Amino acid sequence: MPKTITIQNLHALLDRLIAVGTRVVGPRESGSMTLYEPLASGAELSLRDLPRRSAKEAFFPICESILSYSRVAGKTTVSDPDLSQLPPTLLVGARPCDTAAAPVLDAVFSWDYKDEFYLERRNRTTVLGLACTRCDDACFCTALGGAPDARAGSDLFLSPLSDGSFTLEALTEKGEEFLGAASDLLRSGSAAAPVPLAAPALPPFDLAKIKGWLDGHFEDPLWAEIAERCAGCGACAFLCPACHCFDIVDEGSESKGERRKYWDACGFSKFTLHASTHNPRDGQPARYRNRIMHKFKYYDDKFGQTLCTGCGRCVRACPVGIDIAAVLDEINNK
Amino acid sequence: MCIPDKNIYKPHLATIDAIVDETHDVRTLRLVFQDEAVRDSFTFRSGQFAEYSAFGAGEATFCIASSPTRTGHIECCFRGTGRVTEALRRLEVGDTVGVRGPYGNAFPIEEFYGRNLVFVAGGIALPPLRTLIVNCLDQRDRFGDITIVYGARAESDLVYKNELAQWQERCDVRLVKTVDPGGNSPEWDGQVGFVPTILEQAAPGAENTVALVCGPPIMIKFTLPVLEKLGFNDDQIYTTLENRMKCGLGKCGRCNVGNVYVCKDGPVFTAGEVKAMPQEF
Repeated sequence: MPKTITIQNLHALLDRLIAVGTRVVGPRESGSMTLYEPLASGAELSLRDLPRRSAKEAFFPICESILSYSRVAGKTTVSDPDLSQLPPTLLVGARPCDTAAAPVLDAVFSWDYKDEFYLERRNRTTVLGLACTRCDDACFCTALGGAPDARAGSDLFLSPLSDGSFTLEALTEKGEEFLGAASDLLRSGSAAAPVPLAAPALPPFDLAKIKGWLDGHFEDPLWAEIAERCAGCGACAFLCPACHCFDIVDEGSESKGERRKYWDACGFSKFTLHASTHNPRDGQPARYRNRIMHKFKYYDDKFGQTLCTGCGRCVRACPVGIDIAAVLDEINNK
Repeated sequence: MCIPDKNIYKPHLATIDAIVDETHDVRTLRLVFQDEAVRDSFTFRSGQFAEYSAFGAGEATFCIASSPTRTGHIECCFRGTGRVTEALRRLEVGDTVGVRGPYGNAFPIEEFYGRNLVFVAGGIALPPLRTLIVNCLDQRDRFGDITIVYGARAESDLVYKNELAQWQERCDVRLVKTVDPGGNSPEWDGQVGFVPTILEQAAPGAENTVALVCGPPIMIKFTLPVLEKLGFNDDQIYTTLENRMKCGLGKCGRCNVGNVYVCKDGPVFTAGEVKAMPQEF
């Protein structure tokens, strides 16, 4: 019998976690937007709209300190941030297009050298996914093999029921543990029917075909056709749940400060600029080509997956109307 | 290799032991690790690179320009041209820099034993080959003929002038130095002409020879056909790519040429490998 939880008990559960020092991150209304943010109380949880930004910030903050340095009397010392102080985190209400990106990011930050900053946050986070029951024109997870109820990347999964409650299932050991601690707030079974899942309109792409075309079309008029108008604003990369390029920057004086990782974007004109002023990716078409190639070829070549979950955030945000799903559709129909 | 740290972004601290101004804006720093355990355990191979930091300004990527045969210190050589390199240039002997590395692959020097070597470099691109040149000269009897073709825009842009003079004196090294037309003084004792042209005139034989090429993209573009004409095939030619990097660890996502990550798969590639990449470097 599947466990169910009412919305009131879900709020109570979050309150209980917040009270013991767990950082609970979930969709909340923030000004005119819904954003994944730390919740002050369970009642702040707002599950109606897809958050404007992705959930990757739970493991991969926009900015994080990777060391601090100081120079006293001519002697420089460098010290590590204390990651043991990172709070345990619950990411609640994460959409399948967000949770699906977590294993994709795990591969980048754990192959060869291990990035402890990402991995510590990830290890301390329990992911409570939420089935999607609403979508818009920009949603296309199903075209990429995802689904509004895909469990990838979730430790637990909530599925909305017609009476306002949810089924709650554990998918991993972490999830089981969580469920065990919440047993007094759960019920067994429910007579209510599941709320119908969202159904994005775009039919599935032939990803092997798209990959095959990309393998042979580094040089193609398509790149200029799509991206001559790209403004290079980087909004697509910053909103993307799977984009993970970063910069390393010192903030402070010569004698005291921090070295930090910041999100970066391959659409920025200085991203690959050499000291000599030579730029291997000179112009937005070359930069946009890298974006598509990285997502659907380079990452696939290395890790056997695509670096896009079909969340549609880049489509909604692009100031010049570049639509990645339309680009894929065009390649798919070549 | 070196002692691993849990924080992969944390540099070792090194003291500037000596400074050489190679040109008006190119500087060599000789660095000695402050931690004795690091000093004893730090090893690298010619061709590998590191991330060097001036605290407060950030990190920059350069090859390790010294030879692994010269122990106790490492050297980097760079042009002051941006925030980090200008900050590194403001530092003085005794000051501290950060060093992360060594990263990337290396020249397969063991495969060069018993073969002739032709080094071809332009301008600030001599340091990535200088590590290997010194390495080979320090075990001179393992190699056949050694030819070095090195050019710069003008005499004043030639780096490692002291070593060029030493190499010129040696009877077991053929140094062909050149400057671009107009870049020479009346006293210039080298060639005048672009590197590819001078290489063609120097005409090193391709048989049992390895060519090692590093320079600006335009020099590489015109040098490869010359080497081909001289009879070199793609597997006899090595180059080292210099792309902008941040992490050096295969994470930050900017140094790739197609699906090849210069920081992990390179920076050393054969001409065959370079030709197989998309032409985006």
